[in-house]
Amino acid sequence: MIARASENELESLRSDVRAWLESHVPASPAFPLPQNALLVTEERQCEWLREWQRRLHAAGFVGAEWPVEYGGGGRASGSQRVIDRELARVRAPFLVNNVALAWAGPMILHHGSGTQKRRYLAKLLSCEEIWCQGFSEPGAGSDLASLQTRARLDGDAYVIEGHKVWTSLGIFADQMILLARTDPDVPKHAGISYFLAPMHVPGVEVRPLVKLTGEGGFNQVIFSDARIPVEARLGREGEGWKLTIATLNFERGASEGSAGASDMGGGSVEEVVALARSLGPEITADPLVRDRLAAFAIEAAALRLGAQRARVPGLVADRPLALPLMFKLTGTEHSQRLADFACELQGLVGTLWKGEPSAPDDARWQQAYLNSFGGTIAGGTSEIQRNLLGEKVLGLPKSR
Amino acid sequence: MKRRGLHYDEEHAFLREEARRWLGERCPIQEVRRLAEDPRGDDPRVWQELAELGWLGLLVPEAHGGAGLGAVHLAVLSEECGRRLFPSPLLATQLAGLVLARAGSDAQREAWLPGICDGTVVAACAHLHPGLGEPAVVLEDGRIHGDVPHVWSAGSADLLLVPARTVSGTRFVCVGREQGRVVPEIGLDPSRRQGRVRLEGVSVTSDAILERDAEAVWEEVLPWMLTALSAEMAGGADALLVMTSEYAATRQQFGKAIGAFQGVKHPLANVLVGVEQLRSLVYGAATALERGAKDGALLAHMAKAQASDVYPFAASRAIQFHGGYGFTDDCDAHLYLRRAQCSRPAFGDAAWHRRRIAGHLLGA
Repeated sequence: MIARASENELESLRSDVRAWLESHVPASPAFPLPQNALLVTEERQCEWLREWQRRLHAAGFVGAEWPVEYGGGGRASGSQRVIDRELARVRAPFLVNNVALAWAGPMILHHGSGTQKRRYLAKLLSCEEIWCQGFSEPGAGSDLASLQTRARLDGDAYVIEGHKVWTSLGIFADQMILLARTDPDVPKHAGISYFLAPMHVPGVEVRPLVKLTGEGGFNQVIFSDARIPVEARLGREGEGWKLTIATLNFERGASEGSAGASDMGGGSVEEVVALARSLGPEITADPLVRDRLAAFAIEAAALRLGAQRARVPGLVADRPLALPLMFKLTGTEHSQRLADFACELQGLVGTLWKGEPSAPDDARWQQAYLNSFGGTIAGGTSEIQRNLLGEKVLGLPKSR
Repeated sequence: MKRRGLHYDEEHAFLREEARRWLGERCPIQEVRRLAEDPRGDDPRVWQELAELGWLGLLVPEAHGGAGLGAVHLAVLSEECGRRLFPSPLLATQLAGLVLARAGSDAQREAWLPGICDGTVVAACAHLHPGLGEPAVVLEDGRIHGDVPHVWSAGSADLLLVPARTVSGTRFVCVGREQGRVVPEIGLDPSRRQGRVRLEGVSVTSDAILERDAEAVWEEVLPWMLTALSAEMAGGADALLVMTSEYAATRQQFGKAIGAFQGVKHPLANVLVGVEQLRSLVYGAATALERGAKDGALLAHMAKAQASDVYPFAASRAIQFHGGYGFTDDCDAHLYLRRAQCSRPAFGDAAWHRRRIAGHLLGA
């Protein structure tokens, strides 16, 4: 484990980042940017964001705690959190290489060979290569281990055959973290392997999917006898599930290893309070509205203080897994209910959709609410999260 | 440099360990049940031990014989007491000590606080509000007259602090047990006794009237009281969660433990989320109070609102998921349910605190 930074080092880093941001945060582009990495649909959005990440990385603020030899900043533990907080404070554009920074990167850093680390990490941090995730399939969502995409060893390559779905950034991606079955004759968890698969080889077809909002942003990826090098395999054959659990821990917010923050852009309680004020005294004087706003403020404070409490061993000793396993569930449900409440407050005006000139804030809250289901469904549905809390924290037996 | 993060160190961990050990020995559930049948409802024999442990004067400045500790220590101790449903005037005395320390003159503090710390004086303080309207006691011509219901631990108290309306505003008045008449109330929760304090023309000297305005003092100490009570409620809700999870993991029906069914598992996960969020709010509030941060009062309101919702919820799921057994006296869950239902409205229920929070968010 890397050493913890001293308060002085962090304070010094904080001022450096602030100073850099003051002169380097780009002005908004002429075209609209989406709220987060999962909503990027246009080439020009991708290129603009890619350039931003490249610059941020060149300044040393992406992968700050990773080893210098792999393109990281070599800084002490705590540094990335300081940087991410400063980025959030000035509402800097998000980092588009989200899958890379949160999942692929930490996975390669902790489990990859020296060759793989040298091959992939620097380009991942600088955004020279964009990554996507190939886990879920039409028939394998919550029950991911039942996946059927096949990887057959043929000489110096694996031949991939199958169908992945919900692949965010698929149309822009250069690489994919891919789960495929190398052995169909053993129990389902034991026959899965983990691959760092190139996207630009013959036999890989990306087809965009349309979300309920009408936006693109995720895709299907169909593999038809696509050949990927043997060296693309991470870890040993059959280790894929074990490595996947590690990935899912990163995804569910438990990881300290992620290389940069990704804001899901759901909206804050302060913004909904401002919305209520803008709707006038009939709304702000309504006791039911006041009660609901207070309830949201309580929940937001609990989330914020929960992140702080999670860092104090003495205050989580009885149940160390509870807070990490709660973050995704509570954050996504809070955001969902908050966005829905904002829509409620808007009443009939809230029935308008983006593009309609009189839609409030271009239907920002309506979009946020529809998109919020991405949060409660992806990365382990809220129902699965509750199962995990019951099983891993409360010791209840599995449901199957 | 600004301090970040929650305040909690080895001293707090040590207090928690010590409290768990002592309460584990002195207050198993059988003791709670025994005291439920007792006319007084608490065991005076342990009071001296509490003095020796330094818990009676936890918050009292060292100059007056106390331990001079802060809000985080109070939260830790209260949480552990709540976990065990400790039937005791401990919290009532600590809160009375807080009021005395803030409201009294130097002479008044010196007269009363040492006795609280060394265990010779059990104290109780009537609530000012909310939920109880204007103080019902009046001080006129050197006599106080009135009736105050729902005073925690009044029946065991040597010293009662009663807010009274005077010509110059509200003041806390110190009344000895032989002066007032305390009529014990039969309450839903035998583990925290309440009494009605009846004052019929009791004469009081000026040194028994605490000098500072009671409303002002109440505003100052309320966040501390809310934090302590919310911590206590968090401990109780946690105990219910542990009890119910253990039951659900072992009770077999339809060929498996009932906790395997999502109809049981998911609500318990929801109780877990509520309890963990409550603990975060409690320790956030305690840290803010200890550091004198400006959001201390707001966080204390938040903690109590959350506690008022979560503790009764945890209790209702505990009874429900213990099934038929949960419906009997034999199951311990209802002992906690009673404490939860009675703690819910104390010092303001959830809706009252959310109104205060909304006032902060939206202005008046």
